[in-house]
Amino acid sequence: MSQLNHSLMLKNSVGYSKQSLILVLLIILAVFSAIIASTNGSFEVSVVNLVRGSATELQSLVIMEIRLPRVILSALVGASLGLSGAALQGLFRNPLADPGLIGVSAGAALGAAVVIVISPAFLMNSLIGPFLLPLAGISGAASVIFFLYLLTKGFGHQGVTYMLLVGIAVNAIAGVAIGILTYISSDTELRTLTFWTMGSFGGVTWNLLVPAMVVILGAMLYMTPAYRALDLIQLGEVEAYRLGVDVKGLKYRVIMSAAAAVGASVALSGMIGFVGLVVPHIARMLGGVGHRYLLPASATLGAALMISADLLARIIVKPAELPIGLITSAIGSPFFLWLIFRMKQNVY
Amino acid sequence: MSIKSEAVDVTINDIKLLHQLSIEVLPAEVVALVGPNGAGKSTLLRVLAGDITPTRGNVFYDRQNIANLCILQRAHYRSVMSQSQPMVYDYNVKDIVSMGWLHGDNEVHNKALGLALQETMERCDIDHLDNRRFNTLSGGEQKRVHLARALLQLWLPDTSAQHRYLLLDEPLANLDMTHEINMLGVIKQCAQEGIGVLIVLHDLNLAAKFADKIVLCNQGRVVSQGSPEQVFDSDILTSVYGVTITLSHNPLTISYY
Repeated sequence: MSQLNHSLMLKNSVGYSKQSLILVLLIILAVFSAIIASTNGSFEVSVVNLVRGSATELQSLVIMEIRLPRVILSALVGASLGLSGAALQGLFRNPLADPGLIGVSAGAALGAAVVIVISPAFLMNSLIGPFLLPLAGISGAASVIFFLYLLTKGFGHQGVTYMLLVGIAVNAIAGVAIGILTYISSDTELRTLTFWTMGSFGGVTWNLLVPAMVVILGAMLYMTPAYRALDLIQLGEVEAYRLGVDVKGLKYRVIMSAAAAVGASVALSGMIGFVGLVVPHIARMLGGVGHRYLLPASATLGAALMISADLLARIIVKPAELPIGLITSAIGSPFFLWLIFRMKQNVY
Repeated sequence: MSIKSEAVDVTINDIKLLHQLSIEVLPAEVVALVGPNGAGKSTLLRVLAGDITPTRGNVFYDRQNIANLCILQRAHYRSVMSQSQPMVYDYNVKDIVSMGWLHGDNEVHNKALGLALQETMERCDIDHLDNRRFNTLSGGEQKRVHLARALLQLWLPDTSAQHRYLLLDEPLANLDMTHEINMLGVIKQCAQEGIGVLIVLHDLNLAAKFADKIVLCNQGRVVSQGSPEQVFDSDILTSVYGVTITLSHNPLTISYY
């Protein structure tokens, strides 16, 4: 009996330590890709020079003012999409809940587009200017998630279908609204809008990045403690409630933090598809489905993938750039098809 | 000390599901809730579990009105096993059983969890399945896993004297005879260890054999409650179920076709 106990606890700890190992590897991967991404591109800077302090002024300028903000932004966006995807898939108990697919990103995009086109110049140039875009993105994302939740909670197992259909509708509505905004925008506004809807990490500056960074990191810290409740809610809402989970509080926490993270990301980098869908599934395949592991793993993997995708976008056709959304969709959409194929066999 | 409802009314969408319903489950006692479909058995169980707040009347866990207990405190008093939903993601059996653990996951409790988990899984005869994916199990095995989770939820250190209650909504549905008997055995054993059990059953013979007390409901009211010999009367049963029911004693057997 005691031997059995011992072996059971051993198995327990082996399960955890395998997941810890994967997490450590993912962090190394993210850091490694960040180093590669900040030193490569159309303007080469060698790591060795940088470390020895013998980089030229131009090289340091490129690193500090262009590459570093860009790498940090791509890491933040990747992490927030990965984490939000994992948490929403958990909350909705639905493996297809991706911020892009279900219209959350489109809601954020609409919010941001409204600010770009409609808000008066003095507001944008004022002190609250840098916060305006993220705030608009967050409100857009939050209203869509809330609407989705109201609409799908009564549908039980049909929830998957309804959520996707609603996502299609929301995407279309946001598309129309953004189209109208494009039509009425002035030349400068149109320029901003166009660059921004294509999805890019380029041109980000520290004074835009820092407020978004605060919002995204705050949202991620707020979301992560929900890991146990997200596991328990897999038993069903009533069962989770009976186990002492404050289900309403959990929904509020996940929805608000996903909206904040995705909203701020989309506001700064445009719509980037499929990352929130694909990353949690890869993380599950690597180390399991428990949210204690899944949440940090999805965030780290999302960051690493996004940094690498942005590097690809910069070097494939250098000195020009591909839109990042193109690359993530090119990788993500086949994966999405494969996922649907697997759904037919009811395994995730 | 007990889990009880006092004169509970439940009205949902102007339909009165429960009328002035009072029942009590004592520690170490097995109470079977029986009655035809639509009698309000599951509603009553959900009221006792705290899922539904009654329109009128109160529910008490050990003399405390549950309106004054937070959901985590309630979770320590009672666990519930009802018709479960399918799992979307591939949790393994041990993950699911561990979901019943209410005592945190720090170092000290991890050790207690390891012991409690092993004991509970052995008791429910699922210890050989611990690393199997839940979704690959048969229906009966999944039921045993959920029972194990409900039992783990009631785990307490030996030093604690708190009373605990187990509420089961048709736990035997779709089980074959062997698993039926095994599950009833596990439940009976829990009662012997001091846990109060409320079980919704359809099989009157099983209820008669297995329960200390029977509560017969019909149309949201208690028709009769007491020992199986007191409650099971052919006239009452015939009028409640609307089919001719005959009884024979020693042992008590209820036949209806």
